[in-house]
Amino acid sequence: MNDEDIGKLLISAGPRERPPADVEQVVRERLRTEWRALVAGRRRDGRRQMSYALAAGVLAAAIGLWFVAPQLRGPASPVGSVTLAAGEVRVNSSWSFGWSDIVPGQSLAVGQSLRTGRSGRVALSLPGGVSARLDHDTQLDVTADDHLNLVHGALYVDAGPSASPVSRLAVITPSGSVRHIGTQYEVRLMGSGVRIRVREGRIEWRARSGSTEQSKTGEQLSIAGDGTVERRAMPLYGEAWDWIADTAPAIEIEGLPLTRFLSWVGRELGREVVYATPQTASDAADIVVHGSIAGLTPAQALDAVLATTRVRAAVRGDRIIVGGNEPVSRPAD
Amino acid sequence: MARASNLRMASRRVDQALADDRQLIQRLLEGDEQAFEAFFKAYFARVYRFALPRLNGDAEAAQEVVLSTLTKAMRRLSDFRGDSALFTWICQICRHEVVDHIRARRRSRHVVLIDDQPELRQAIDSIEAPEEYDLVRNYGRGETGRLVRVVLDRLPSSYGDALEWKYIEGESVEVIGERLGIGTTAAQSLLARARIAFREALEKVFGAEAADIASSLGA
Repeated sequence: MNDEDIGKLLISAGPRERPPADVEQVVRERLRTEWRALVAGRRRDGRRQMSYALAAGVLAAAIGLWFVAPQLRGPASPVGSVTLAAGEVRVNSSWSFGWSDIVPGQSLAVGQSLRTGRSGRVALSLPGGVSARLDHDTQLDVTADDHLNLVHGALYVDAGPSASPVSRLAVITPSGSVRHIGTQYEVRLMGSGVRIRVREGRIEWRARSGSTEQSKTGEQLSIAGDGTVERRAMPLYGEAWDWIADTAPAIEIEGLPLTRFLSWVGRELGREVVYATPQTASDAADIVVHGSIAGLTPAQALDAVLATTRVRAAVRGDRIIVGGNEPVSRPAD
Repeated sequence: MARASNLRMASRRVDQALADDRQLIQRLLEGDEQAFEAFFKAYFARVYRFALPRLNGDAEAAQEVVLSTLTKAMRRLSDFRGDSALFTWICQICRHEVVDHIRARRRSRHVVLIDDQPELRQAIDSIEAPEEYDLVRNYGRGETGRLVRVVLDRLPSSYGDALEWKYIEGESVEVIGERLGIGTTAAQSLLARARIAFREALEKVFGAEAADIASSLGA
């Protein structure tokens, strides 16, 4: 068979069908989300295994320091703890030498700084049920028990679904500070400016000059270095928020009603949980979940938990639609 | 002697393809964005074409099945042993997803394609394997054309694309090199390998020379 024969054959058979561009786009983005979650989960697992070894080392080192250098003991009582650490995450204390690796479970005190590297992310548990998460290339100084100083990078704060309406916690940036009013939000330093995205509730921005701005769910505030404020709408879910879900500490699900678990997933994914019928909601409330979702992202946990029940769910835009025995479709990202 | 030499060459190509698959999987699991793009580019369209006719041409169902297939493949990548080509392995997952989808929906009609018949499926799956099969089938013109396209999909994706671009779209080697992100010389070499692989694959499936198959298509 020569070149010509191959050409004739291929022309006779005709070209292969091309999938529609919109289908390609949808599948690519949803698969990418799934893949990133998978990679994050693997890193988290690897990090967890390493953490046990590190924890033993840190404990041994701490005992040694306790005996040989009493002057180096930590001066402050803990104001929080590390719930999850992935990639390069280091801590520096005003009462110790240099930067050291951090491990999940490690406490955090005033006077300490956290720094994540290019691949690092960390989640913190703070008083009042507040969860804080640091993205890649971020440094955060704990300057008081209710003051977090964002030196560079990005910080996400989730005050929890039953947060007190007025928070003492303030996120300090070079150009101003942010306080939340029962909310989820991200603060990211952008050059000399700051970008704040509010996922739930409200925040108040107080500039160094004393001027204030408030922002509510679904808004993004961009504060330039000269103090100019730009306000725009932004989605509550999607790629920009993926890093939040990747660093979500798993909750204890043993004995939880399925509805509580679904609420947690919805909160982490920035999507409203909608039940197809009142009966579905009632059934879900009666289902008690067992087991553990340690090491899983919220999307993975949703898949894993629903697989053990007759309830089905599908992610559709800004909603997670929960159906009964007749599946809506398999859950996605 | 020539037959033994051909078998050795085919075996080396298979080894190289499996090594490429393993390397791609390793990079994917490490979070390499370029690896994700390469994976998607290599497999999405081929899996879509695999699923669509088995779902009676239901494009919406094909989208769901392809997404669930690739998602499951991603999750199980670390289990891939290299006993077959990665695409063959993904197709096995896709077959299960098609059946699951039809069971769940109970509205689509499960289409059994000619290439799902055991003997032909073995031959098509063996395109990436060094063993030889000798199947001769006389199918209708439409089915034969479709099987030729199935054969193209079973080649490494760059081979199938390069052959289509060259012979159907009439692109020059320079353009093919650009589209594949390789130089002209590398594109020439790739086209040569693609022609050999295509010829061998056709012989496995049809057991006949390409010229004969072309004549059955009315070329």
